[in-house]
Amino acid sequence: MAVVVKGIHRSYGALKVLKGIDLEAEKSSIYGLLGPSGCGKTTLLNIILGRLIPESGEAHTPPQIPGSGVGYSPQELALYEDLSVIENLLFHGRIHGMNKQEILLNSAQLLELLDLPESTKQVKKLSGGQKRRVSLAIALLHHPPLLLLDEPTVGVDPELRQRIWKYLRQVADNGTTVIITTHYIDEARRADRVGLMRDGVLLAESAPDDLLKKYSTSSLEEVFLKLCSRGEEE
Amino acid sequence: MRASRIIAIAQRKFSSIRRDKRMFAFIIIMPAIQIILFGLAIGATPSNLEVNVVGENAVIEQLKESENLVINEFEDIDTAKEGVSDGKAWAVIQANGTGVKIYLDASNQQISQTILSEVRGAIEKTSPIGLPIEIAEPIFGDKEPRYIDFLAPGIMVLVCFMFSIILTTMSFVSERTDGTLDRVFAAGVTPLEVMLGHLLAFSTVLIGQVSVVILIAMLGFDIPIHGSIVLLFTLGLLLGLAAMCLGLFLSSKASSEFQAMQLTMPIMFPALLLSGILWPVEALPNWLLPISWILPTTWAAEAFRSVMIRGWGLEADIVWGAILVIGAFGVLTISAAAKSLKLRS
Repeated sequence: MAVVVKGIHRSYGALKVLKGIDLEAEKSSIYGLLGPSGCGKTTLLNIILGRLIPESGEAHTPPQIPGSGVGYSPQELALYEDLSVIENLLFHGRIHGMNKQEILLNSAQLLELLDLPESTKQVKKLSGGQKRRVSLAIALLHHPPLLLLDEPTVGVDPELRQRIWKYLRQVADNGTTVIITTHYIDEARRADRVGLMRDGVLLAESAPDDLLKKYSTSSLEEVFLKLCSRGEEE
Repeated sequence: MRASRIIAIAQRKFSSIRRDKRMFAFIIIMPAIQIILFGLAIGATPSNLEVNVVGENAVIEQLKESENLVINEFEDIDTAKEGVSDGKAWAVIQANGTGVKIYLDASNQQISQTILSEVRGAIEKTSPIGLPIEIAEPIFGDKEPRYIDFLAPGIMVLVCFMFSIILTTMSFVSERTDGTLDRVFAAGVTPLEVMLGHLLAFSTVLIGQVSVVILIAMLGFDIPIHGSIVLLFTLGLLLGLAAMCLGLFLSSKASSEFQAMQLTMPIMFPALLLSGILWPVEALPNWLLPISWILPTTWAAEAFRSVMIRGWGLEADIVWGAILVIGAFGVLTISAAAKSLKLRS
């Protein structure tokens, strides 16, 4: 198991954000964390990242986190807009201790894969979707064993979204653990395992097909709705 | 702590600074304008002062030679005084035996001082024995010290200090809120590395800024520098660095650029008023003195003045004391800045 989270509670002041979360993400797999905005996904990622300390419970992660053990793409674009695409990549490569040649090689592959324009273009001149992809490229640049991607597909067109998932599958097959949050619930069908989150609680955690079978529906969206209405009845 | 990461951060930041033309103008041109305005507006002797004189004697004759006074002669004292009451003249000077009697419009202290000083000069020149004092060649400074010579070192300090704070305060807030800093921390970079990287990037700018300030003072306003220019430059650089540390600290506390600007205000004014920049610290009430002497700007202003006017070097207590105090201030504030950027919460 690459990432194991057990019984995590965390609040901001009086606001309880996570109320006892258990999560397991296997090595070489994609874990999709689903749920509406404000359900606690980002807080959970920050706990896995080691930035937030849980009040109770524990998170086991691979070594070097924070550090080169993780590739992180925050919900914000988190780019230096006045710099060019390649300058952004060079900077992040350098803080991971990569040499220039290595950075340029990996960047070229990622830029082609993510269909990004010439790398000397200033980030602020890119479209929203292009920026999102540069942000993703930065997380992938140093081939980390764990990828934490917070809403990496927002504002990206469906075709490219498909390509991103295909690439994530490829890196997962090569041994990377991917934890990805999204609120496009159905795109998470491509994950190996999904967790459906609401109000700081994980309503269900399973392989997508198992969930569909269990709730006899054809979409994860419906599973989510059923789980929510059940939660309200209780 | 890894040097390679600090350098990567510095390079990245420097690319941003270099590209931001407005910022660049702000860094180099604004301090230059400030210094020039101070030099032009403050410290020169007031001139073209209208003065009404009544009666005749040697002193009055001598006053007519003055470059700063415009002499209007009157027959009777009442009309002469009316001119002052109506705001048409600054003083009435009436012949009084071999001396004079002066009625001042004392609403402006600097102008009153100038008129009195002119009168004193005239008496000294006309009296057969002169004044019973002799002002010998001063040990430091000029025989007729100019206010600007006192003020210039302080203003140089203030400009180095102020612009360094503003520069760092403004440029760091967005990094904290746009997610870029989160990503840098996720990569294992420590807050201190982030701070030192920024400091390194800005110090390149600082070199330009301090040079401009010193050059304008020297060449533009003929301010004497009797001591080592290298030492002066080093002091300016050190002060700028310490101010940048403080700017980074403020920046680490502010939630928006506007708030960051607001935070600098309560620092600017004490620095201006309590550091002996406009007026000697010796004039401060005793209970304020300890506060004045914990400000790095007080030490810097005194050290600047000592190097520039007295020609003192590192052997002087005030100079190495300044280096010590400013250095300590910088280390303290950058540590506080690094601490307030929480890696884990």
